[in-house]
Amino acid sequence: MAFIEIRGLKYRYPRAAGLQLDGITADIEKGSFTGIIGRNGSGKSTLAEAILGLVPQFYKGAYGGSVTVDGLDASRTPVSSMCRKVGLVFQNPFNQLSGANDTVFGEICFGMQNTGVSAPEMRERAEEVMEMLGISEFRNRNPFDLSGGQMQRAAIASILVMRPDAIILDEPTSQLDPAGSEEVFRAVDDLRRTGLTILMIEQKIERVAEYSDMIMLMDGGKLIASGSPSEVLSRDDLEEHGVRPPLSLRTAKALSFRCSDGTYPVTEKEAAGLMRGRIVISEEENGKESQAPDAATENAVMEVRNLSFSYTAGTEVLHGVSLSFDSRRTAVIGQNGAGKTTLAKLLKGLLKPSEGSILFHGEDTAGKSVASLAGKIGYVFQNPDDQIFKPNVLDEVMFGPLNIGMHPDTAEMKAKEALSMVSLDGKESRNPFDLDLHERKMVALASVIAMDTEVLILDEPTIAQDDDGKLMVSMLIHTLSERGKLVISILHDMDLVASSFERVIAMAGGKVIADGEPAAVFADSGVLSAAGLELPHAASLGRSLGAKRIFLTDSSLLHSVHRL
Amino acid sequence: MKSISLYSDNGTWLCRVHPFTKVMYAVAAISVPLILGSLWAFAAAIIADLALLASGKVLRRARALIVFSFTIIATIFIVRSLFGQEGSEIMFSIGPVNVYREGFMIALRTGLNILSMLLAFAVLVLTTNPQDLSTEMERHGFSPRFSYVISSVFNIIPQMMGTMSTISDAQRSRGMETEGSLITRMKAFIPLITPVVTSSLITTRERAMALDARGFGAKIKRTYPETREKHRGDTAATVILALIVVLSILIKAALWLS
Ligand SMILES: Nc1ncnc2c1ncn2[C@@H]1O[C@H](COP(=O)(O)OP(=O)(O)OP(=O)(O)O)[C@@H](O)[C@H]1O
Ligand SMILES: [Mg+2]
Repeated sequence: MAFIEIRGLKYRYPRAAGLQLDGITADIEKGSFTGIIGRNGSGKSTLAEAILGLVPQFYKGAYGGSVTVDGLDASRTPVSSMCRKVGLVFQNPFNQLSGANDTVFGEICFGMQNTGVSAPEMRERAEEVMEMLGISEFRNRNPFDLSGGQMQRAAIASILVMRPDAIILDEPTSQLDPAGSEEVFRAVDDLRRTGLTILMIEQKIERVAEYSDMIMLMDGGKLIASGSPSEVLSRDDLEEHGVRPPLSLRTAKALSFRCSDGTYPVTEKEAAGLMRGRIVISEEENGKESQAPDAATENAVMEVRNLSFSYTAGTEVLHGVSLSFDSRRTAVIGQNGAGKTTLAKLLKGLLKPSEGSILFHGEDTAGKSVASLAGKIGYVFQNPDDQIFKPNVLDEVMFGPLNIGMHPDTAEMKAKEALSMVSLDGKESRNPFDLDLHERKMVALASVIAMDTEVLILDEPTIAQDDDGKLMVSMLIHTLSERGKLVISILHDMDLVASSFERVIAMAGGKVIADGEPAAVFADSGVLSAAGLELPHAASLGRSLGAKRIFLTDSSLLHSVHRL
Repeated sequence: MKSISLYSDNGTWLCRVHPFTKVMYAVAAISVPLILGSLWAFAAAIIADLALLASGKVLRRARALIVFSFTIIATIFIVRSLFGQEGSEIMFSIGPVNVYREGFMIALRTGLNILSMLLAFAVLVLTTNPQDLSTEMERHGFSPRFSYVISSVFNIIPQMMGTMSTISDAQRSRGMETEGSLITRMKAFIPLITPVVTSSLITTRERAMALDARGFGAKIKRTYPETREKHRGDTAATVILALIVVLSILIKAALWLS
């Protein structure tokens, strides 16, 4: 008998129109690493909630079929007992915090306290898991005061530490820096070797391909396919289901390299093994691979001079940062806790510098209120739930435009345009809090776009987005930039950074450690390791295949590699 | 969300005193003057509160509470002492305004009562980690759910303030003026109310899931990562405070009988 058995599972949320889960049947073996992939809204999170029993115990609604975990019926076993068998890392780390603890250490111990772990063991396990996730130094900090990525690490730690038999992780690395994501995958994989069962819902297809021994592909509440990574990812209809295959696979497929079993290689290593020596890579740059530093370095739109900031006296988190922002699309990248969000909030005026100054078109913003600059500088919060407060989507998106004095008709027009830019048309009258995380993120984005500000600061706009969503964000960034706006975006997605930005600012430990064109920043391995970064997939696959140059986009790589 | 907490460990001895001792103190400081009913007892309790707050270095943070209670007290004074009942004695007059003795005394008593309660409460709240209190309660046999509620009650004001500042950030970043004159800030307060309540309700629902998913409420005896050392003198202090309460009851009873 499999550890988790799902039989004909059907589920519909109360008042929802269609089925959220539609006849899912699957077996998940003990000690396996299962990747669950699929587009936004395909039912992945609902499936995770059904395995723990939150569906149907917390969310009522229509439920059919069965889920058994180690012989226990998930629909009836109380969640508080089931959690000893199955741990669930929620999609939004903020929701995972118990709110009953004012230190990270206490938060991590909370679950063990409930399951009756003895004091010495509790302390030992907590230390170990904090070490594993790199949050030991925050043990006495309030979990609510951590940066987004640090909070996500704490949320993962709080579940791992309970040592359930199986762990479901719902996009656990969405806010982690690339090095952090890799660490989480590796840590979880190490646990699997000790017999733990892992279910990982992820959009980072390259990593899923590398670590999973089984992949479940979902779409429209149905299980479309399940099998080995190469089987599932080699399917021709994968993109129709909203999932782009890993670049290695796409490259091999384009050049018709197949493995012996007829599938395509899914990891860089496999691809390199199969293709090296049988391909040529043209090394000269074709077209606009390296964006010429065109006339963009005109006058600065925003400038920060010698900026320092501390949340609590004595612990400075930004140290004398000086930057000048011109109209180039600018990505801010770097390790969790580097101070990216802090910098964004300072630019926006939500935080006041402890030292240094911020200039907007040469004018010091020190004496100005946030509201008075709101029509000029827009900021999309990292956590959309921090930004949304109206009971329906259209009101939410019109709130800004109306406040900055737009005529109601114009405001409505701008709001509708913004909503359609983020593919939310038709959802105007919905309550934003009933929408999925990826949609709430887009509502937050639309509510700032609608204000038509000269500067847009986006804090991790791709959180929870699937491949189509990421593409949409990338197009949006281009559109806004073409309209003459300064777009500054904080990101952990290196592919997007390399393909859509003209300038990259890398931060680590409250300082800017690199600033320049993507190609230059990614070429500096010292910077990459100091800021917890990785090469974009195109660059790293190119490198594994033996290329000397740094490829920034998938298409440039695909165009430059030829079969001998 | 930024955490805003009433309690912060400033390293003074008062923070290290066992939460129960401070609860006992608050009970004594509030109940003794009420039982005895004499103005001197109120004064004594208030002086004791202030002395403790000062020695715990939290007098400054209690200031807001004191200011708040003074506004209430002032209102009561005006209402009670200026509009005395027919025939009651006029204590003194300021110009055309008469101050009645009976009303004045009632106002004084109510005022001192409120002040003493707030200060005694401040001694507890400003120097006690809510979590310490709830943990200790659980250890002494209260149900975890009950102590979770207690610590939530402690946290409710800080949490509301946190939510409020988050939502206010969301509003001002989209052009709603919240900074500046008192009037602007008051105007900005009203649109905060609904979202703060909604957001609290949503958070509550989500918290419930988060708690269950971490095994909270399972019928297993909870364990604790750390054991709390008793502060020197905790037991003695608690016993003395309890004795004072008992004593004041006895005095009151004796006075009443005689
Ligand atoms: N409200 C707060 N109180 C105290 N410290 C804070 C607060 N918010 C953030 N910090 C700390 O300041 C530092 C910078 O945080 P910031 O949110 O700017 O990081 P970040 O670069 O955006 O990280 P991430 O990639 O995880 O979002 C971190 O060490 C964080 O723990
Ligand atoms: Mg951040």
